[in-house]
Amino acid sequence: MEAPPDNDVLWARSLHFTHRDGSPGLAGISLGVRQGEILAVNGPRGSGKTTLLRCLSGLLPVRSGEVWFNSSPLHTLGPAARERLCRERFGWIDPEPVLVPELSVWENAALPMMLRGAGRRRAKVSALEWLKRLDVGDRARCRPRALRHAERQRVAIARALAPGPEVLFADEPTAPLHHADRTQVLRTLATAARSHGITVVLATHDPDTAALADRTVALLDGRRVHTVHLPDVPDAEGRAACSLSV
Amino acid sequence: MLALRLTRAARPAVQLRRLLVAAASAGTGLLLLSSLGHALAHPEAADAAALRLAWCAAPLAATVYLALAVARTDPGTRPRPGLSAVGLGPARLMAVSALTTALSCSLGSLLALLFFLHLRGDLTGLPFDGAAAGLLAAGLPLPVPAAVTLLTVLPVTATAAVAVALRPRDPRPPARTVRRFGRFGALGGPAGPETFGAYGRFGIRLPSAPGDGRGVAAGNSRGVAAGDGRTAAAGEGRTATAAAAALLETDGDRPAPESAPEPPVPDIRAGSPAGLPWGVALVTAGLAAQAYAGRSAPDLAVLLGWLLTGVGLVLAGPGLTHLCGRLLQAGRPGVLRLLAGRGLMAEAARIGRPLGVVCTVASAGCALTALSGGPAPAFGPLSALGALVVGGATLGTLLTSAVEARQYRAGTTAALLRLGARPALLRGAAALRAAVLPALFGPLVLVIAALSALPLSR
Repeated sequence: MEAPPDNDVLWARSLHFTHRDGSPGLAGISLGVRQGEILAVNGPRGSGKTTLLRCLSGLLPVRSGEVWFNSSPLHTLGPAARERLCRERFGWIDPEPVLVPELSVWENAALPMMLRGAGRRRAKVSALEWLKRLDVGDRARCRPRALRHAERQRVAIARALAPGPEVLFADEPTAPLHHADRTQVLRTLATAARSHGITVVLATHDPDTAALADRTVALLDGRRVHTVHLPDVPDAEGRAACSLSV
Repeated sequence: MLALRLTRAARPAVQLRRLLVAAASAGTGLLLLSSLGHALAHPEAADAAALRLAWCAAPLAATVYLALAVARTDPGTRPRPGLSAVGLGPARLMAVSALTTALSCSLGSLLALLFFLHLRGDLTGLPFDGAAAGLLAAGLPLPVPAAVTLLTVLPVTATAAVAVALRPRDPRPPARTVRRFGRFGALGGPAGPETFGAYGRFGIRLPSAPGDGRGVAAGNSRGVAAGDGRTAAAGEGRTATAAAAALLETDGDRPAPESAPEPPVPDIRAGSPAGLPWGVALVTAGLAAQAYAGRSAPDLAVLLGWLLTGVGLVLAGPGLTHLCGRLLQAGRPGVLRLLAGRGLMAEAARIGRPLGVVCTVASAGCALTALSGGPAPAFGPLSALGALVVGGATLGTLLTSAVEARQYRAGTTAALLRLGARPALLRGAAALRAAVLPALFGPLVLVIAALSALPLSR
């Protein structure tokens, strides 16, 4: 078995995945994520970005293919070991900010650290620091429902960043936001990751978002492509040729 | 038809809950019919028959409450995006839900009728033929309209209750069209309740005053710095939005603020249920009424006292549950106590009310047992059936509400698991929640039962 290259923190080889209902997910993807870089996984909806991120982070068990993290195999681990690795080493940001509604904002941000066994005081200090940094420090004592969507997403980012993960997986973190909020969220995420040397794997369908990253990996239909030449969406209005009703 | 298909396709747990409704409905129907049988056998004692019929109200209420809880938990009748897209919106789903409830209640009533006829000896061929013939007036012909009327009471009540409880509601608040004038002709009333003398207190009408801070928080110091007209406009603003809108209107020369006004910060205690003081007051009033009634004529006053106590317990249930959660997460909680306590606080309204009902039933049962000296000899078979129906239905309601709370929190639980929370931790939090509630409510039940039984046992 070949060892992964030294500077790749996360490394996948010929990753295949089929969903439980038989629909194809990934078809042979190989990629390496270098230490401290921001890697954008780019592709249209349904191209397998989320599945790839889930496989890489160990949320989904890999059926065939290999995933290595820090020179140790991830695809051979059992569910309990994968869960522990997920908790201790990885961070995850959803497209929707799923916060625990009955905890206040700072408790939400401190939750991963408390789940890791850190003391309450230390977790609180760190969470408040990150919240301040992401510009939601003044709402730290509110409940999540009092916050706007972009603020909740920033809280989710603070929650993912606060325990200091080695790799942060961000699955379309800006999809439901407007442009102004999107830019701010992305900029804060990128700045925080670069200043702390956190490796980020960022799934996005937006080429502007991908421009923020160091490298871009393009996906199409579960395969890695190097040049995506999709036909432009034509203006279908007024064209009788494609109409099904004739 | 659709209701039948949705009913048939449900999972075993859901079918079990519906069967529980049917069983409770059968028990209630049997009690109603037996009161009819008693009235037939003793036409001279109309008062006793009416009293028996009146006692059937308790199992009836418990069964309707159970049917309501089961209908709320039913996954087949929850609004789903897929069904909305094909035209099955909340209104149709409400109809489906009501129909399902009617179905299970009617099934129970039918079973009750069959069993009643069987016990009377009208239907033969099974064991216990005519076992209760003497009790149920076997020799007399059964008046069919009376029996049908009694048996339709429960399905109709339960269906109506489900339809009313699950009716589609408009999420928008009703628009206020009438323009209200406040004190001294000022537009709009005060933002909060005014205490005596608060109107003319110095600084209360200034926009940055703490008493008015909720309305003008968005305006902060800029409102003060501006002219008088704007201060008046902002000072009377009822909400932050109104104040900000007024600011924007008079603010033509300045650049508009970039961000929208901040929503008012809700109080952290806003979620706490309000019924606790009322509940405590009613419980104490009921206990006092029982204590005074015990000295002289017992009957009606004691009943009124028990009713007051029961209503008070039901009202106080959510507040007490919230208090439990608050105590659980007090101090500097670790993650287990934090999750358990806050979860209890969030679910206080959903869990607390059925818990209050269970407490009422349990304390009444304890008091009755203590009064009668022993469990067995005082109760006839019908009282035992009534106690079984009431106790089972209320317990079933509590468990169904717990299932509902779990369904409601499924998204949060999934998010916690994705964060890396161990399932053992979540199970521990649930167990802690389940252990704390009896620790508070158990002694409460015992104390109330002892206090209720005290005046009567002297």
